[in-house]
Amino acid sequence: MLLPLLVLLIALCVALGGWAAWFVVRDRAVILNQLWGGAVVEGVLIAQAITAAIRGATHEPPSDPLLFWGYMATALIILPIAAAWAFAERTRWSSVVLLVAALTVAFLDYRLWQIWTAA
Amino acid sequence: MIAPDDGAAPAEAARAPRSTGAGFGRVLVTVYGVLAFAALGRSGYEFMVKFTDAPVAYSLSGAAALVYVLATFALALGAHPLWRRLAWIAVGVEAVGVLVVGSASLANPDVFGESTVWSLFGQGYGYVPLVLPFVGLWWLWRTRGPAAHGKEPAV
Repeated sequence: MLLPLLVLLIALCVALGGWAAWFVVRDRAVILNQLWGGAVVEGVLIAQAITAAIRGATHEPPSDPLLFWGYMATALIILPIAAAWAFAERTRWSSVVLLVAALTVAFLDYRLWQIWTAA
Repeated sequence: MIAPDDGAAPAEAARAPRSTGAGFGRVLVTVYGVLAFAALGRSGYEFMVKFTDAPVAYSLSGAAALVYVLATFALALGAHPLWRRLAWIAVGVEAVGVLVVGSASLANPDVFGESTVWSLFGQGYGYVPLVLPFVGLWWLWRTRGPAAHGKEPAV
């Protein structure tokens, strides 16, 4: 796992979460531009998964591959669910869901880093 | 039976049981879903890799994971009375489980051999497992209709 990607992803998650929090305060539902933002986060996450897979295969695998890929799968699935929710729930609560989703992805990515670097 | 899709309308709350999966309920279902997924993943991992190390603890985590999965689906589909009843049971079991297992692990850290989802009141999950069932119970109570209790709510 590459440190720059981790920093970038957490920064993007915090930005997306802040945007969603602002919408919660303003009593607004998630808008399409926020979902594009979520797609960018998901893209970085996928890039992370690919680089981790390549590094794991060519250099050193994660300390606990099963745990690592379990967390990765969880992280990958969260934003698509939040996006589906955003279409189904056209109230401010979709913004709360997006906020929770963004923070969860940031936390999971941090955990991924911990698992990756654990001796 | 279609429930109004707005979880934030207190005035209409009294008329009929509302869906537990709309409005704020969607946030609840999301958090439940994430926790269910995390607990299920953890439990599946423990069962596959190291079940014999601490069978009691890992079975407990497995049971907790199943309860979370059940609660997630029951809350998401809560418009139907049967799902609502199932949600009450699942969320109630959770509340009791996290309190009992949390207290037991606090009194004697080695009681289950290994840590579980509910150990130390869900510390490993940011205490979300401690808070969530009570939010869930509040939400089920909040979205109940007069029919569910056979009398007018006192709102």
